[in-house]
Amino acid sequence: MNRYLLFFLLLLSSASYAELTFKQLDNVSEAPEQLSGHFTQEKYLSALDTSLISTGLFYYHQGQMLQWKTLKPIQNELVMTPSAIINKQGDQELLRLDTNSNPIAGILSEIFFSALAAEWNNLAMYFELSGEINGKNWYAKLLPTDRTMAQVISLVELKGDTLLRELIFHEKSGDRTTIRFDRLNQ
Amino acid sequence: MKERISSHRWAATSWILLVIIVVFLAFRQGPAFDSSILALLPESEQQPVIQRAIDQMAERFSKRIILLVSAKNEETARTAIKSLAESLIVLPDISEVTWQINESETSKYQDELYPFRFSVIDETTRKLLLTEDYIQIKQRALHRLYSPISVGGSSIIEDPFGFFNELSLQRFSNLDLQVSDSLLKVVGAEQPSYMLIAALASDPFAPDVQHRVLETIAIQKHQLDKTAVSIDMSGMLLHAAAGANQASKEISTIGLGSLLGIIIAILCVFRRFKPLMLLLFTVSIGCISAAAVTMLVFDRVHLVTFAFGAGLVGVSIDYALHFLTERSVSPHNQIMRRLLPGLMLGLFSSVVAYAAQALAPFPGLRQMAVFSVVGLSASWLTVVLCLPLLTKQDPLKPLKAALTLDRLRKRIPRVEGNPLLMLLLLASSGIAIQALWNSSSLDDIRLLQTSPANLLAQEKRIQQALKTSSSSQFILITADSLEHCLQKEEQISIELNRLKENGQLNDYQALSQVLPSLQRQTENTILARQLYDQQLKPLYTIFNVSDKGLDTARLNFEQDVEQQLTPEVWQQHRGAKNWKDLIVLQSETSAATVIRFSGDLSHETKEQLVSLTDVDPEIFYVDQVQNISDLMGNYRGQILTWVIIAYLCVLLVLSLRYKTQVWRIVMPPFLASIFSLAILLQLEQGINLFHLMALILVLGIGLDMGIFLFETDEAAHTWLAVSLSTYTSLLAFGLLALSDTPVLHHFGLTVLLGLVFVWLLTPTARKNNRTDSQI
Repeated sequence: MNRYLLFFLLLLSSASYAELTFKQLDNVSEAPEQLSGHFTQEKYLSALDTSLISTGLFYYHQGQMLQWKTLKPIQNELVMTPSAIINKQGDQELLRLDTNSNPIAGILSEIFFSALAAEWNNLAMYFELSGEINGKNWYAKLLPTDRTMAQVISLVELKGDTLLRELIFHEKSGDRTTIRFDRLNQ
Repeated sequence: MKERISSHRWAATSWILLVIIVVFLAFRQGPAFDSSILALLPESEQQPVIQRAIDQMAERFSKRIILLVSAKNEETARTAIKSLAESLIVLPDISEVTWQINESETSKYQDELYPFRFSVIDETTRKLLLTEDYIQIKQRALHRLYSPISVGGSSIIEDPFGFFNELSLQRFSNLDLQVSDSLLKVVGAEQPSYMLIAALASDPFAPDVQHRVLETIAIQKHQLDKTAVSIDMSGMLLHAAAGANQASKEISTIGLGSLLGIIIAILCVFRRFKPLMLLLFTVSIGCISAAAVTMLVFDRVHLVTFAFGAGLVGVSIDYALHFLTERSVSPHNQIMRRLLPGLMLGLFSSVVAYAAQALAPFPGLRQMAVFSVVGLSASWLTVVLCLPLLTKQDPLKPLKAALTLDRLRKRIPRVEGNPLLMLLLLASSGIAIQALWNSSSLDDIRLLQTSPANLLAQEKRIQQALKTSSSSQFILITADSLEHCLQKEEQISIELNRLKENGQLNDYQALSQVLPSLQRQTENTILARQLYDQQLKPLYTIFNVSDKGLDTARLNFEQDVEQQLTPEVWQQHRGAKNWKDLIVLQSETSAATVIRFSGDLSHETKEQLVSLTDVDPEIFYVDQVQNISDLMGNYRGQILTWVIIAYLCVLLVLSLRYKTQVWRIVMPPFLASIFSLAILLQLEQGINLFHLMALILVLGIGLDMGIFLFETDEAAHTWLAVSLSTYTSLLAFGLLALSDTPVLHHFGLTVLLGLVFVWLLTPTARKNNRTDSQI
């Protein structure tokens, strides 16, 4: 009897999670041409059991670039384009990375792009989706299927309504990066 | 008399028996063909260690096949590369197929290098440390920690300044490949493209290996064609197979073409089948013996030798033709007495001419020399030993064709007593010599290129996609130990990096990039310690890390800082696999390493590299393409000298017999050579070694012609014989002008021109115009 109950519960729980498809996400979320806003990033470092918090502004232009301006506690600007990641300080270019030569950073920046732009099909290449929709709000769990990705990232969590509101990268090492978006302007 | 015949019979039988034995031995050994450019190349005059480096680079190239699979979408390309890899790995001829990197391997590669992060430091970080630009290093560390897309923040204790992060970043970007879902994806390709490298377990020149590997790829290709997948390939095996294919095609077309033309001509002239059978018999014995002996003497027989051998048909038929035309007018018991002096001199001049080829240090030409000398001698012996016995009962029957040709000959004016013709020949010679005097020569290794353009284009595409290095240019560094080699590399790398920054050098691969010298590693740890001493605490203050955390980080540094990456440890690493072949030599007393280049080097860059390496007598810049082109030029000069000497000897021998009349024999081939060369200069870009080699042949045939004519007092049937042999040689060699192989084309065209001139000029040097009563 107990066994049946367990089976039933498993079925129920997996049903409520697995219901979400990339297509459904497509329906509820908007794909903005451009988007800007404020972010709060919290990096939890397991080795020190401490969190590094930073805040700043971001600006997104569909298919072209994502500008990530950290204002506190350090000043730094990161520009991600589909082909490169450029690290700037003031006008000085500190580091330019070819996204192809650094696959993990490349994929992570692609996740940013895709999640902000609600281009869910891109994510299907790297992840298996599960999650739920509750009215306007949705919550998505992305499990990496790409093996290169899976070496570093154990899970990506996304929360949003018509736009993305929160993003969490869980690293295999136990570190995690939580990013919350607010004051969003389309 | 009877005794003579039986001894004759005995000699003929033992000769045929000898041929059978040699052919049997060669057949048992089995044929091995070679179409590699390398096999045609001169033997090295290099120091052993340089030769070893050259061999090692060539071996690396010859034993690998690179396949590049492109498709419209990712999924198709991935499926295609997987199915290709799976079909190749099961072949016994393939020892290894590299097409995927599994995740454990990547992380192993990371793990194995991690402990050495304080002694193996990437170039950029090292520069910052040297200039004590700590602010920049600290900034980098902060940016990484606060970046939303950086991972591996746990290293804040073990590697807060991110030495290892920078190192793996630099290592990754050196490759134009990306690991995408464990597959090797080519970066920057228009369509999704994946790479596969197959390592051969066996000889790329073995026909059965070629067959199995290419068949497998062809089947895959056929199946993939439906899904619009394209496959580019590169590797020695493909060149070898293409060469063998081209050779067999050319041998069958050119060889068969000339044979057919010859058969028709013989039937027209003799109007009987027996002479044709006898001609084919002598020619076959010549060719079979030549092929057998060449196979026994050399490990592999080059395709060029065989294609050239197809042409030998035309020359070896000479002796038999003379015998048969003479036999049509001379009875059985007189023929050898009449013919032997001419045949002897003919063989002598030809053998001397061909043997001169053997002086060239090109294995390919040596093969041709052996092939020709053996083939001609065997045909000659067959004519002298067997034909008299086989034609014993034949009746005398003058040939009508001889009369027709004789009439034609008489229309050609004679030089003697014809000032106008003499003037014309002198003037043309003057113009020709003038043209030759001002000519330039062309000694380019590309002449030896035998591969089809399609294959070369594929190879170029792969080289561009992967920026793979060429195997023909490199820097060789020698020293008493590997450590010293690495130190020298590090010295020279300063200059190489400068060239790279100036855009003069695409990229280079040196062992010291992945395995720094121990001296350099010690320097690095000192630099790292300095950084820790001054900057660790300020950095940690920013993060509010407790003193305990600081202590842990310090302790961690002290634990790992002493770790040095020795060559022995490095060689156990998985990451070392692709770099190991940069070590040419490593023994207790000496070592040698190679620095490879990517992409094409410009002339200026090459000069810079030469001056760079000139400083140290133990460092060499090796440019195999240039070396060979230089050698070809060098030997062109040498061969010219030797051929002139050889012909002076022949001239001396001929003068002893023909006294003042020797000009009648020498003038036609001499003028023909000058005229042909002058015309070739107009048709081709320049005169090269192979044109000269062909001229030896023209001289040989031309001298033969003069000798035979003189010996029979310019009889009409001799003129028929030499005309027929010119015709057959024209068919045999002239057809080579159609060959796609540049070497054979040069040969063919030269012979074509030369023989036409010889044939036209010889009658002008005849003695008189009397009608031959004897026919």
